[in-house]
Amino acid sequence: MSNELFKKAADAICDANVDKAEELAQTALDEGIDPLEMIEKGFTAGINEVGRLFDRGELFLPQLMGCAEAMKQGTAVLQEVAAEQGGDEAEAIKIVLGTVQGDVHDIGKGIVASILEANGIQVFDLGTDVPIEDFIAKAKEVDADIIGTSALLTTTMGENEELLSTLEEENLRDEFKVMVGGGPVTKRFAEKIGADGYAENANEAVTIIREIVG
Amino acid sequence: MVQTRLGDGSTIEMTEEEIRADIERGVEDATDRANIDSLSEDEIDRLADIYTRPNKFVSVETGNELVLTFDEGSVKLKRLAVSIGRIPDLQLYERAFCSDTAEMAHIDYSYKPIKPIIAEEQIEMEQALLTTVLPVFYGAMPNLSLYSQPDGSFPNPAELLPKGKIKEAQEAYEGMVEHAISDMVFVASKMYEAGADGINFDTTGSAGEPDFLATLRATEILKEKYPDISIEMGMSGEFVLGMHGEIEYDGVNLAGLYPHEQVKLAEKAGADIFGGVVNINSSETIPWNIGRTVTMMKACAEVANIPVHANVGMGVGGVPIVETPPVDSLSRASAALAEVGKLDGL
Repeated sequence: MSNELFKKAADAICDANVDKAEELAQTALDEGIDPLEMIEKGFTAGINEVGRLFDRGELFLPQLMGCAEAMKQGTAVLQEVAAEQGGDEAEAIKIVLGTVQGDVHDIGKGIVASILEANGIQVFDLGTDVPIEDFIAKAKEVDADIIGTSALLTTTMGENEELLSTLEEENLRDEFKVMVGGGPVTKRFAEKIGADGYAENANEAVTIIREIVG
Repeated sequence: MVQTRLGDGSTIEMTEEEIRADIERGVEDATDRANIDSLSEDEIDRLADIYTRPNKFVSVETGNELVLTFDEGSVKLKRLAVSIGRIPDLQLYERAFCSDTAEMAHIDYSYKPIKPIIAEEQIEMEQALLTTVLPVFYGAMPNLSLYSQPDGSFPNPAELLPKGKIKEAQEAYEGMVEHAISDMVFVASKMYEAGADGINFDTTGSAGEPDFLATLRATEILKEKYPDISIEMGMSGEFVLGMHGEIEYDGVNLAGLYPHEQVKLAEKAGADIFGGVVNINSSETIPWNIGRTVTMMKACAEVANIPVHANVGMGVGGVPIVETPPVDSLSRASAALAEVGKLDGL
């Protein structure tokens, strides 16, 4: 019975059906299913499929937004109950996201923001051409877990190193994980500068974020 | 052990069997994603041969040489901090780099910002044509992003979509397309009238399928206006990103199209050369990347009735994501695309 419900929940996300997602969330609660299990095996399975289809060019940004909304509303019903039951367990990971200073590329970063939000990660999107001090100030303000940067130019990749140095200088390096991405950025570059994570695409970013925040 | 690379450019060592297995995995990924035919065993053997040879530089057999067209030619040497003007740059491509065509470009490399300086560009093109003999294209990107706020007048879809304003975002894209077409036709017309041998629409689709639509329609208009104009259409990614989701050209939804589907629409619009793109995955090996690159580009070349010139350079076409592509990877990718991909040019 639970498996059938999980499947329906996943389908509701893929179909961007907000009403159905909310209804199924309530059904799960009524049937005594653990809300976190419903999120993981139902809604998250659905949004993972959405991410996979987007990555292959089989689903497009407007549809993705609809799926993300269904995810958001469906999980909200469950998280409210999960928070009552288990306190901190349902608290979302917070990431401050932006394209580094000198770089105005927005599309890829915007897609990453959408996929992260769809996966229940709280995103504070600072936009493009973001100075290092703004990343840090926002991360401190919202008590972020991660600072995520995007750089689409070889000439702006260096901002990532600057960010890490500034965090070190201000004794904040242990406060925030730093994750980097963007066209010319690679895993090797991320390792070389001492970043905590790198992702090839938005889908992978979700996995890596969960790994590094643990 | 054979030395090869990861997609990020780092050198690694693999056995011949591992290299062949990675090529096969890359081929499978391409067939699965793009829904195209696999390479034959012989073709995979050929790729494995190219990627396991100990030679630093690999080339093609005599007779299999390809035409070499270069995009953004007059800008790339400047990026390497070479102090050089645009015309000497084009002359270098002609006389030192053995290019078959070259492209004059402005450093802004988008059609919109070129519009107000078009007279300057026309003069430079005339001068370039007087001092070179190879065909000189004029090129830039459609770059639809420049038509939304803060750079343009339309509301920014990237801000509208996360707010759920999907219809408003789609309408913004539709308006942006019309403005982009107008600028592309204006600049291309002026440069063609100044003597340019061709026009290149480069990095098409970078802002999603509205960007691709603008290019297709601009191509159509230019071909009707100047039947002899040569148009090269270079893509930005292996599939067209769906930012609008419902845009069609010739009855085909443009979102999610792979190179073998893109080229048919480029043909329909009147393009003379199609520059297909297959992206690099920097975490995978170069043998994996070349397997999928060749599979997708071969499928594209097979259905095309116009020449297909794959984009081969930093992060595309089987070449690692490094600013100056290593010769071992670049030469192998070129040979693979020529001899197995059966392309017309690079």
